[in-house]
Amino acid sequence: MSIVELENIIFQYKGSKDGSLNNINLNVEKGQTVLLCGASGSGKTSIIRLINGLIPHYYSGELEGEIRVAGHDIKKTELHELAGTVGTVFQNPRSQFFSVDTDGEIVFGPENIGLDPKEIKARLNDIVVEMNLDEILGRSIFDLSGGQKQRIACASVAALLPEIILLDEPSSNLDFDSIELLRGIIMEWKRQGKTIIISEHRLWYLKDAVDRVIYMENGKMAREWTGEEFVALSEDEVKSYKLRPIVLEEELIRDIRGESKASLCSVEDAIELKDFYFSYKKHPYIFLKKHFKESDGDFLNLNIQSLSIPKGKITGLVGPNGTGKSTFLRCLCGLEHDCRGKIISDGKIYKGRDRLKICYMVMQDVNHQLFTDSVKSEVMLSMKDKDEARCDEILESLGLADYKDTHPMALSGGQKQRVAIASAIASDAEILLFDEPTSGLDYSHMEKVSELLQQLASSGASVIVSTHDPELISECCDYVLGLNHGKVVYLKENSKQQRR
Amino acid sequence: MKLDPRTKLFMVFVVSLVAMMSATTPLLWGIRLTITIIPIILLVTEKKYASALRFFLAYAIAFVLAFYFLSEKSEGIISSLLIGYCGIVVQFMPAMITAWYVIRTTKIGEFMSCMQKMHIPDGIAVSLAVVMRFFPTIREEYSSINDAMRMRGVMLGGGNVLRMFEFRMIPLLFSCVNIGEELSAAAITRGLGGDTKRSSVIELKLGFADYLLMTFLTAATVIFVMYKYFL
Repeated sequence: MSIVELENIIFQYKGSKDGSLNNINLNVEKGQTVLLCGASGSGKTSIIRLINGLIPHYYSGELEGEIRVAGHDIKKTELHELAGTVGTVFQNPRSQFFSVDTDGEIVFGPENIGLDPKEIKARLNDIVVEMNLDEILGRSIFDLSGGQKQRIACASVAALLPEIILLDEPSSNLDFDSIELLRGIIMEWKRQGKTIIISEHRLWYLKDAVDRVIYMENGKMAREWTGEEFVALSEDEVKSYKLRPIVLEEELIRDIRGESKASLCSVEDAIELKDFYFSYKKHPYIFLKKHFKESDGDFLNLNIQSLSIPKGKITGLVGPNGTGKSTFLRCLCGLEHDCRGKIISDGKIYKGRDRLKICYMVMQDVNHQLFTDSVKSEVMLSMKDKDEARCDEILESLGLADYKDTHPMALSGGQKQRVAIASAIASDAEILLFDEPTSGLDYSHMEKVSELLQQLASSGASVIVSTHDPELISECCDYVLGLNHGKVVYLKENSKQQRR
Repeated sequence: MKLDPRTKLFMVFVVSLVAMMSATTPLLWGIRLTITIIPIILLVTEKKYASALRFFLAYAIAFVLAFYFLSEKSEGIISSLLIGYCGIVVQFMPAMITAWYVIRTTKIGEFMSCMQKMHIPDGIAVSLAVVMRFFPTIREEYSSINDAMRMRGVMLGGGNVLRMFEFRMIPLLFSCVNIGEELSAAAITRGLGGDTKRSSVIELKLGFADYLLMTFLTAATVIFVMYKYFL
């Protein structure tokens, strides 16, 4: 019996062509696990929104066709009536929490539908046991790592006991181990007989879970495979669909988990880092701050006595979530004042604020980094000597020339990222840092970022990129630098690198 | 010490009321100071020593300056600036400290449950709860934007005050609007906004400390008003 029926759906968002749907017919049987894959903007998220009713009730647009979910006619059903039937885990853990504390978040849904407090408490207990949430109960949402946030999101959806669970790119911000945990949760739901529909770019963790795979292209269901057919697809076929790989190589997995057996390799032409110690906890002090030292040991979130970063190369910074990758980048470029590390490049020593002059970090959320009202002035803002010709040149090389006068906030995510990269180039920084530039990107966007990074490195910049993305590492990183608990575990040349 | 959110709300009300009425005699000043000290002590009981000390110092300095060094006869730019600063701090700080304490120590669940107990409509309660939830988000966003500005060397907006403000506000507004939109979509899919009466896991009970504090606050307000307007 079909639990989800989409019939002759044609949909277009108000004022945008992205993510529109064209003649979608989809029946999902009860208990099936369906994967939606395809490029960004191909309509995956729109299908998810049709099933949970956010289209047409929250995101408006022109909609034709019939949608029936578990006996409800979506067009005529109010959103809150679906709460106990359809649950959705969203992509961005930052913006799907109503509460500030974890317990409050899990009980939020059941409270909304007016369940008896006793029943809610019983459900909370069941879920905590089932999903192993003991250690993260009673904490503030703002202190959790991305993986922990996503587990709470799953728990708060499960607390409503929905028959149908939708996941919209749930792994975007997660590291390898958190994805494994997410996979465990999905498998448990599958075992309980829930109907699961997942829209996702990363495919490897779902290969044993899915019964059907639907490939979306320009708002149409272009291909469909069964689970077995999908797993049997060859590497080249997967590539030809511009999908991320279904199978990960063992070595890459070890690399991204920061567990490779390699040690520090020697680098000939290098930028030297010295005495990078930092902790988010502070020594108690009255008048004079105490500096962090190596002898602080486990107290430190970052503990690097000396390190050589290959010059003019791309170094991938890997390791599990919360192990100090972002901290390392922030200390390196001087955003953390209390870290007194030195950068030695070409015999010159940079410390303190000077580090900001030779480093430039492109942040994960580029929205925070764009300030002005046009792409051009954005780039000019970074230039010390306002050279218009050079600005045009940079924009040209990044394919942004046509958007010179556009407001940065009116651009797509990928374009915004390129604007941020353009201003990084304009700042003439020797060391360019990237914090997770490809999380949540599809294969072809990831390839573009990787090409850009290679372009930057070949023009002489030293690029350090923190990432969980195995494909990005194999595409472009010359070296892999493994961090664990704030310490450098290894630096090795990347054998898997397929640079053309 | 665990206070009931209702007591906390009452405290916000009383502290703002007393701090806003001008104190003229030593007795009135005494009441106002006592009422200002309460939230600071409460912060200490919550182990927020640093903020308690910071609030205490800021208030004490402004108070001492205003009382001993400034008078109607003060002249010059510095004293007029000081009068402005001290006046604002002495007048508004008590209410601010209290609000800060309440926001820091109240869970959203407790707040919602308290609103239900007071028979406030769900719509109003939910909107207020979202406002509370947004403070930490704004702070997080703001600090990332500040980092980005430092990175790009535009902390001072190129010396232009207006741009300094613009560079902070525009990205902040954009990301808050985005987060707000995604947040409400996520909340609606989990049943927010229905006609069903919300239930609440948290059971609130007024304890001894609550009654004590409420009695004290009420008494202080009554004495303040009596002595100011009727005696």
